[in-house]
Amino acid sequence: MSVFGRLPRRPARTVASALLITSTLGLAAAPVNADEITFWSQPYGDLLEWKRGMNALADAYEEQSGTKVNYEVLNWSVAFNTWLTVAQGGAAPDCADMYWLHSFSAIGGDQYGPLPINEYKDQWPDLDKNFYSGSLQDSHYRGDFYGIPWRGDVRPLMYRTDLAQEAGLSGAPQTWDDLVTYAKAMTARDDNGNVTRWGMSPGSEIVTQAYIPYYWQAGGVFMTEDGKTATIDNDASIAALSFIRDLVWEHEVVSPEFMEKSYDPESEFLAGTLAMVGSTPGAWPGRLQRENPDLDGKWALAVPAAGSAGRDAYAGSGYFGVLRGTEKVEQCVGWIKFLSSPENMQKLSEASGNVSPRRDVMASDFWSDTDWKKVVGETLEHQHTSQHPSPAWSALINDEPGSVVYDMMYEAIIQKQDVKEVVQRAQARMQAELDRVSK
Amino acid sequence: MSDLQSDNFLRPRNGPLAAARLNNTVTRITVIVITALTLMYILMPVYWMLKSSFQSANDIRAMPPQWLPKELSLQAYRDLGELIPIGRYIYNSIFVSLVAAVLSTAIGSSAAYVLSRFKFPGMSIILVMILMTQIIPPITRAFPIYFTIQSANLLNTYLGLIVAYVGFSLPFSVLLLRGYFQNNCPPDLEEAAMVDGCSHFGAFLRVILPVSMPGLAAVTIFTFLNAWNDFLWASLLLNQGAMKTIQVGIGDFAGEGGGVQYINIFMAACVVATIPALIMFLFVQRWLVSGLTSGSVK
Amino acid sequence: MERKKLIFCYLMVAPSLLFTVVLGILPMLASLGISFLEYDLLRVRDFGTPFVGVDNYITVLTDARFIQSVWNTLLITGLVVAIVIALGLLLAQVMDAEYRGRALIRVLICAPWFVPPVVAAAIWSWMLSTSRSPLNAALMDAGIIDSNIRFLSDTETIWGISIPLLSVTAVRIWNGLPFVVIFILAGLQSIPKSLYEAGSIDGASVWNQFRFITLPLLKPILGVLLLLLLITGIGHFEINYIMTGGGPQGQTNVMAVYAYQQAFNSFRFDYAAAASGVIFVITGIICFFYIRAQLKDGDDA
Repeated sequence: MSVFGRLPRRPARTVASALLITSTLGLAAAPVNADEITFWSQPYGDLLEWKRGMNALADAYEEQSGTKVNYEVLNWSVAFNTWLTVAQGGAAPDCADMYWLHSFSAIGGDQYGPLPINEYKDQWPDLDKNFYSGSLQDSHYRGDFYGIPWRGDVRPLMYRTDLAQEAGLSGAPQTWDDLVTYAKAMTARDDNGNVTRWGMSPGSEIVTQAYIPYYWQAGGVFMTEDGKTATIDNDASIAALSFIRDLVWEHEVVSPEFMEKSYDPESEFLAGTLAMVGSTPGAWPGRLQRENPDLDGKWALAVPAAGSAGRDAYAGSGYFGVLRGTEKVEQCVGWIKFLSSPENMQKLSEASGNVSPRRDVMASDFWSDTDWKKVVGETLEHQHTSQHPSPAWSALINDEPGSVVYDMMYEAIIQKQDVKEVVQRAQARMQAELDRVSK
Repeated sequence: MSDLQSDNFLRPRNGPLAAARLNNTVTRITVIVITALTLMYILMPVYWMLKSSFQSANDIRAMPPQWLPKELSLQAYRDLGELIPIGRYIYNSIFVSLVAAVLSTAIGSSAAYVLSRFKFPGMSIILVMILMTQIIPPITRAFPIYFTIQSANLLNTYLGLIVAYVGFSLPFSVLLLRGYFQNNCPPDLEEAAMVDGCSHFGAFLRVILPVSMPGLAAVTIFTFLNAWNDFLWASLLLNQGAMKTIQVGIGDFAGEGGGVQYINIFMAACVVATIPALIMFLFVQRWLVSGLTSGSVK
Repeated sequence: MERKKLIFCYLMVAPSLLFTVVLGILPMLASLGISFLEYDLLRVRDFGTPFVGVDNYITVLTDARFIQSVWNTLLITGLVVAIVIALGLLLAQVMDAEYRGRALIRVLICAPWFVPPVVAAAIWSWMLSTSRSPLNAALMDAGIIDSNIRFLSDTETIWGISIPLLSVTAVRIWNGLPFVVIFILAGLQSIPKSLYEAGSIDGASVWNQFRFITLPLLKPILGVLLLLLLITGIGHFEINYIMTGGGPQGQTNVMAVYAYQQAFNSFRFDYAAAASGVIFVITGIICFFYIRAQLKDGDDA
């Protein structure tokens, strides 16, 4: 007996009517209540704790204001594509936890994407006093106010204290020279001379972000404040690129594969095949503490080592903002205001493990109860925003071949081409990218 | 049945030449060796997944890597239910994939049948069009298709995803089944049926489909697993709320550091996610190799 | 009667056609259209999408990275298709033969199909990482190698072929094998057993039976398979992207990854569309030859 014996006699007609029913079903979407808003956020920290925390906040807000917040987790694996579709008119929530304001604003224009909320700015009277200025920059674009920064990602140095001690080194590396000393001492080789543990990785697997603080530490800036002129053809570029190149080839303490996609510093650090990360994403230490008790007492954070011009640390941030197309701007602003109160910002920071852009949260007990948290606080004093005033920025520092910064790093560091020429080429390419959005 | 059938393959009975017998032995050994090596290569990652799901996260990461786990534990499976609503995700995936597979096979076989049997105006154009859809890589079709589904108001619905999967697998189904019908079903089969008073459609339903079970099974498995394993489209078209498919659910979990910090739970989730696909395969594969078919077509 | 038959034909193809047009042809035309416009996501809102003729094609075709990706695409696709079909022919026979435990063998051979791609990519990346690879550890223990193989990052090449390219090819074969095996297996079912009995009486060796009976009778299925594998192979994206992102030094970069990077990293949808246009032309040529062969076969019959 064939399984198809049970199928309707006329598949063609059946399918056609099925399609018809489908489309009517789709059109009859449920009416949306006026006192409901949808809110998306990416997840942070411990997944369960985060979801529970957000739902509790949403419930509390509903009780207080009567507005129901439909909370959705927008996972990181789909976040970028989703925001890109949102900026082109795809399905969007009323408000959300967002990032990369500059690029998404440029893509969405005045039709889609992030919505400026200048007229509500006076709801937060002491913005400048309460928030770190670096993070405020990330929720402003071309003079407009888009929302409230709520999380920071500041990147200190992380290293294995037990291995440093074994090598007779105490305290944290303070300068670039120290980095070389420490990395050399902690690099281990087997009898055949193969490296079994690398002394250092410049940063996380997002190698272009890893490079950025070294350039700042050498005294460089990427572009002028209007975002129109590229400024990387200078000695700072040469110093930063040469330093990392030497770590790879002369001192042999950084894996020559560190720029390849298959290289994963976090897994290497956990497996003990990597001893130091020059610029560590904010989420790592919290994860280490939570999930790897086996490494307790064997690692520490430190303020990034100083180059010739300072100890600048990479800092990124995210903000709560409103999306174009919503009819509920006021309800959204109310919800964001609720979230940005000191108590709730404290809760968000504790649940996510992210540093808070609010000074009072960073002064709280939570951020001083362990050594590594204190270091995170100290590193904040050296934070340097990773957002730049050009919408082309995210394309410039994309961490795959083809982006200006990636190619510059690859040519100078991995392929050991003449650094001066590499930098000159990169400057020309970067200028062309900046011109792209304005001419 | 084939030349590898055991009595035929292991012991040529019909008194073949000595050279042929030696040849057969060499061929046989070669086949066994290559099969064994290929199986190792196929199964290595599968074994690694299975093994890791029974280990602790630290043992999984241990250096040097442990090929044989030192300790086995079911902890990851216990934690899994708390971290991911895996039952719901699996239900979503089964529903979407099954409907897509059945629809695609039904629609595809109808088209394949007439395209393999009759010459009618527009036939070549239709064939070329079906072929053409495969020519642009899916990744660059992503946005046009997203906005098509959006304008049909099917975003974040099961139906939107089902429609997309049927659309993507149809060209494969049609082309492969067309080849299969040409190969497998001589026209005299349904001519006989039609002499008996069957309509074209009746002949298709009662004669062609039953003898084509291996081909239909192959296409169904293919469509089902394609839908089951898809991440790209599911993540674009249905990435919100409780209707997410298992792949998006797992992908979310992996993306959120779960792939590193809860690697054992991640692996356990993947093992659980393979089971429905496996059951589906076991169920359908019986039709893949049916002596009935080869018997009825001479 | 003739009219009835025609209506029957059109009714049978109509649903397929509807899906094909809406989800295949229209997006394809949209993509081709974009390839002749300036479609820079960062400029669209301020400057619109002016017509630029073939400028995008010129940009893409003079980009050394793209040219490299074209060669890589052809090389990897050729390797994958040849090996997958060869292995598929062999394994399909193994699956078809009658012996105890063949149901298990069938499941095992198809196992890669059940492994979610997300985890397949993660596990392969792990298997092929340099310092954490269990493969390297095992080979090292066995004394076969004395330094880690850099599966995904060794940049040395022989005739344009590098270890990373072979690694990616191997993963793609792993991924594509079950599909091919299943369809060849389905095809094998159509070969009457009596033919083999006759062959066996004539004293034909297993190899000769395969060559003179199995292979010719599988031709129609193999033809379609070859075509589909070539087309999807040339447009393939996921594995190359997840494993290496095209690196090291572009040695595993393929056209679809190039297109993706233009669109999603640089927001240049126009260059991405032009790259897809080149893929379109290459696969179009393959299809042309296939259709011509099909029509010729049809005339013979």
